[in-house]
Amino acid sequence: MANTQAMCTSFKSEILQAYHNFGTTVVRAGTTADVFKGAVYLAVGTLGAGTTVYSATNEIANSGTYAAGGATITNATPPAVTGTTAYWTPSAQLQWTSVTFAAADALLVYNSTQGNRAVSVHNFGSQSVTTGTFTLTMPVNGAGTALINIA
Amino acid sequence: MNTDTPLIHTSLGNVPVDSLVYEAEWDITPTYIKFVEKYTDKSSGEIVRQNAHVYSMAGVAGEAATGEI
Repeated sequence: MANTQAMCTSFKSEILQAYHNFGTTVVRAGTTADVFKGAVYLAVGTLGAGTTVYSATNEIANSGTYAAGGATITNATPPAVTGTTAYWTPSAQLQWTSVTFAAADALLVYNSTQGNRAVSVHNFGSQSVTTGTFTLTMPVNGAGTALINIA
Repeated sequence: MNTDTPLIHTSLGNVPVDSLVYEAEWDITPTYIKFVEKYTDKSSGEIVRQNAHVYSMAGVAGEAATGEI
Protein backbone atom coordinates (compact mmCIF):
# COMPACT_ATOMS: atom_id res chain seq x y z
CA MET A 1 0.00 0.00 0.00
CA ALA A 2 0.98 3.58 -0.44
CA ASN A 3 -0.63 6.90 0.18
CA THR A 4 -2.15 8.79 -2.74
CA GLN A 5 -1.93 12.50 -3.24
CA ALA A 6 -5.44 13.87 -3.71
CA MET A 7 -7.90 16.58 -2.94
CA CYS A 8 -10.19 14.99 -0.39
CA THR A 9 -13.68 14.60 -1.81
CA SER A 10 -15.20 15.56 1.52
CA PHE A 11 -13.31 18.85 1.28
CA LYS A 12 -14.83 19.57 -2.13
CA SER A 13 -18.29 19.18 -0.69
CA GLU A 14 -17.40 21.13 2.43
CA ILE A 15 -16.17 24.05 0.32
CA LEU A 16 -19.73 24.33 -0.91
CA GLN A 17 -20.92 24.38 2.70
CA ALA A 18 -18.35 26.89 4.06
CA TYR A 19 -16.75 24.50 6.56
CA HIS A 20 -13.24 25.70 5.64
CA ASN A 21 -11.85 29.21 5.85
CA PHE A 22 -8.23 29.79 4.81
CA GLY A 23 -8.69 33.54 4.96
CA THR A 24 -9.05 35.92 7.87
CA THR A 25 -11.98 38.16 7.03
CA VAL A 26 -14.99 35.94 6.53
CA VAL A 27 -17.59 35.98 9.28
CA ARG A 28 -20.34 33.40 9.18
CA ALA A 29 -23.43 34.72 10.87
CA GLY A 30 -25.18 31.41 11.38
CA THR A 31 -25.78 27.91 10.16
CA THR A 32 -28.46 28.68 7.61
CA ALA A 33 -27.71 28.54 3.89
CA ASP A 34 -26.82 31.79 2.19
CA VAL A 35 -29.25 33.41 -0.21
CA PHE A 36 -28.20 33.02 -3.83
CA LYS A 37 -29.65 34.99 -6.71
CA GLY A 38 -29.63 34.82 -10.49
CA ALA A 39 -29.38 37.90 -12.71
CA VAL A 40 -29.63 38.06 -16.51
CA TYR A 41 -27.11 39.96 -18.64
CA LEU A 42 -27.03 41.40 -22.14
CA ALA A 43 -24.75 39.81 -24.70
CA VAL A 44 -22.64 42.98 -24.81
CA GLY A 45 -21.48 42.17 -21.28
CA THR A 46 -18.11 40.68 -20.41
CA LEU A 47 -18.95 38.40 -17.51
CA GLY A 48 -16.77 35.35 -17.07
CA ALA A 49 -14.22 33.73 -14.80
CA GLY A 50 -12.92 37.16 -13.83
CA THR A 51 -16.28 38.34 -12.47
CA THR A 52 -16.07 38.84 -8.71
CA VAL A 53 -19.33 40.48 -7.72
CA TYR A 54 -22.83 41.27 -8.98
CA SER A 55 -23.09 44.51 -10.93
CA ALA A 56 -26.03 46.15 -12.66
CA THR A 57 -23.79 47.06 -15.61
CA ASN A 58 -25.16 45.35 -18.72
CA GLU A 59 -27.91 43.66 -16.72
CA ILE A 60 -31.25 43.59 -18.54
CA ALA A 61 -33.58 46.46 -17.66
CA ASN A 62 -36.53 46.15 -15.33
CA SER A 63 -39.65 44.92 -17.10
CA GLY A 64 -42.51 42.62 -16.26
CA THR A 65 -41.55 40.63 -13.19
CA TYR A 66 -37.82 41.20 -13.71
CA ALA A 67 -36.21 43.69 -11.33
CA ALA A 68 -32.56 44.65 -10.97
CA GLY A 69 -30.63 41.92 -9.18
CA GLY A 70 -32.74 39.17 -10.73
CA ALA A 71 -34.47 36.55 -8.64
CA THR A 72 -33.72 34.50 -5.55
CA ILE A 73 -32.67 30.97 -6.37
CA THR A 74 -34.58 28.18 -4.66
CA ASN A 75 -32.11 26.17 -2.63
CA ALA A 76 -33.86 23.18 -1.13
CA THR A 77 -31.24 20.56 -1.95
CA PRO A 78 -27.87 20.66 -0.17
CA PRO A 79 -24.59 19.94 -1.97
CA ALA A 80 -23.91 16.28 -2.66
CA VAL A 81 -21.06 14.02 -3.72
CA THR A 82 -20.96 11.27 -6.31
CA GLY A 83 -17.63 9.56 -6.85
CA THR A 84 -15.05 12.31 -6.37
CA THR A 85 -17.23 15.18 -7.61
CA ALA A 86 -19.06 17.57 -5.32
CA TYR A 87 -21.98 19.39 -6.87
CA TRP A 88 -25.01 21.57 -6.30
CA THR A 89 -28.00 22.66 -8.37
CA PRO A 90 -30.89 25.01 -7.60
CA SER A 91 -34.03 23.08 -6.83
CA ALA A 92 -36.38 25.10 -9.04
CA GLN A 93 -36.35 26.94 -12.33
CA LEU A 94 -36.01 30.71 -12.68
CA GLN A 95 -38.85 32.38 -14.53
CA TRP A 96 -39.91 35.93 -15.36
CA THR A 97 -43.17 36.89 -17.05
CA SER A 98 -44.29 39.86 -19.19
CA VAL A 99 -40.62 40.66 -19.64
CA THR A 100 -38.95 42.42 -22.56
CA PHE A 101 -35.24 42.46 -23.38
CA ALA A 102 -33.04 42.24 -26.45
CA ALA A 103 -29.98 40.04 -26.90
CA ALA A 104 -29.28 38.68 -23.43
CA ASP A 105 -27.01 35.65 -23.20
CA ALA A 106 -25.96 34.92 -19.63
CA LEU A 107 -27.10 34.22 -16.09
CA LEU A 108 -24.91 35.27 -13.16
CA VAL A 109 -25.35 33.26 -9.97
CA TYR A 110 -24.21 35.26 -6.94
CA ASN A 111 -24.33 35.19 -3.16
CA SER A 112 -26.48 38.03 -1.88
CA THR A 113 -25.73 37.10 1.72
CA GLN A 114 -21.99 37.49 1.27
CA GLY A 115 -21.70 40.87 -0.40
CA ASN A 116 -23.16 39.77 -3.74
CA ARG A 117 -20.02 37.77 -4.49
CA ALA A 118 -20.08 36.00 -7.84
CA VAL A 119 -20.43 32.23 -8.03
CA SER A 120 -20.79 31.28 -11.69
CA VAL A 121 -21.75 32.49 -15.15
CA HIS A 122 -23.97 30.41 -17.43
CA ASN A 123 -24.39 31.15 -21.12
CA PHE A 124 -27.55 30.35 -23.09
CA GLY A 125 -26.86 32.01 -26.44
CA SER A 126 -28.07 35.46 -27.43
CA GLN A 127 -31.82 35.67 -26.92
CA SER A 128 -34.52 38.34 -27.08
CA VAL A 129 -37.89 38.22 -25.33
CA THR A 130 -40.87 40.49 -26.09
CA THR A 131 -43.69 40.88 -23.59
CA GLY A 132 -43.19 37.22 -22.88
CA THR A 133 -42.06 34.57 -20.46
CA PHE A 134 -38.40 33.72 -19.96
CA THR A 135 -37.60 30.46 -18.23
CA LEU A 136 -34.29 28.98 -17.16
CA THR A 137 -34.67 25.32 -16.24
CA MET A 138 -31.86 23.83 -14.21
CA PRO A 139 -29.84 20.79 -15.27
CA VAL A 140 -30.00 17.37 -13.68
CA ASN A 141 -28.46 17.53 -10.21
CA GLY A 142 -25.67 14.98 -10.61
CA ALA A 143 -21.93 14.77 -10.94
CA GLY A 144 -20.90 16.44 -14.19
CA THR A 145 -24.36 17.74 -15.01
CA ALA A 146 -25.16 19.85 -11.95
CA LEU A 147 -25.10 23.62 -12.19
CA ILE A 148 -21.92 23.74 -10.09
CA ASN A 149 -19.37 20.93 -9.99
CA ILE A 150 -16.05 20.62 -8.20
CA ALA A 151 -14.43 17.64 -9.84
CA MET B 1 -71.18 27.86 -27.57
CA ASN B 2 -68.60 30.53 -26.88
CA THR B 3 -67.81 32.45 -30.10
CA ASP B 4 -65.60 35.14 -28.52
CA THR B 5 -62.42 35.85 -30.45
CA PRO B 6 -59.45 34.64 -28.40
CA LEU B 7 -57.02 37.39 -27.44
CA ILE B 8 -53.36 37.22 -26.57
CA HIS B 9 -51.30 39.72 -24.61
CA THR B 10 -48.60 41.38 -26.74
CA SER B 11 -46.54 44.55 -26.87
CA LEU B 12 -49.56 46.09 -28.66
CA GLY B 13 -51.91 45.11 -25.85
CA ASN B 14 -54.49 42.34 -26.11
CA VAL B 15 -54.94 41.46 -29.78
CA PRO B 16 -56.90 38.71 -31.59
CA VAL B 17 -54.78 35.61 -31.83
CA ASP B 18 -55.72 35.21 -35.52
CA SER B 19 -54.02 38.54 -36.30
CA LEU B 20 -50.69 36.96 -35.43
CA VAL B 21 -48.35 34.43 -36.99
CA TYR B 22 -47.02 31.89 -34.50
CA GLU B 23 -43.61 30.28 -34.96
CA ALA B 24 -41.71 27.87 -32.71
CA GLU B 25 -37.95 27.44 -32.86
CA TRP B 26 -35.59 25.00 -31.18
CA ASP B 27 -31.90 25.61 -30.56
CA ILE B 28 -30.12 22.47 -29.42
CA THR B 29 -26.49 22.71 -28.30
CA PRO B 30 -24.27 20.49 -26.11
CA THR B 31 -24.89 22.74 -23.08
CA TYR B 32 -28.49 23.86 -23.44
CA ILE B 33 -31.75 23.38 -25.32
CA LYS B 34 -33.71 26.52 -26.08
CA PHE B 35 -37.36 26.70 -27.12
CA VAL B 36 -38.53 30.04 -28.54
CA GLU B 37 -42.13 30.99 -29.33
CA LYS B 38 -42.56 33.98 -31.60
CA TYR B 39 -45.76 35.88 -32.41
CA THR B 40 -45.56 38.26 -35.39
CA ASP B 41 -48.21 40.81 -36.30
CA LYS B 42 -49.57 39.85 -39.73
CA SER B 43 -50.04 43.43 -40.91
CA SER B 44 -46.73 44.96 -39.81
CA GLY B 45 -44.42 41.99 -39.51
CA GLU B 46 -43.42 43.21 -36.05
CA ILE B 47 -42.60 40.67 -33.36
CA VAL B 48 -45.13 41.52 -30.68
CA ARG B 49 -44.58 38.63 -28.30
CA GLN B 50 -41.67 36.28 -27.85
CA ASN B 51 -41.18 33.69 -25.13
CA ALA B 52 -37.94 31.81 -24.51
CA HIS B 53 -37.39 28.74 -22.38
CA VAL B 54 -33.87 27.45 -21.76
CA TYR B 55 -33.09 24.01 -20.38
CA SER B 56 -29.52 23.87 -19.14
CA MET B 57 -27.90 20.53 -19.92
CA ALA B 58 -24.76 21.07 -17.87
CA GLY B 59 -23.37 23.61 -15.45
CA VAL B 60 -19.84 24.70 -14.78
CA ALA B 61 -17.02 22.71 -13.25
CA GLY B 62 -13.98 23.64 -11.23
CA GLU B 63 -11.15 21.15 -11.21
CA ALA B 64 -9.47 20.46 -7.90
CA ALA B 65 -5.72 19.97 -7.90
CA THR B 66 -3.14 19.38 -5.20
CA GLY B 67 0.48 20.43 -5.41
CA GLU B 68 3.63 18.47 -4.78
CA ILE B 69 5.44 19.19 -1.52
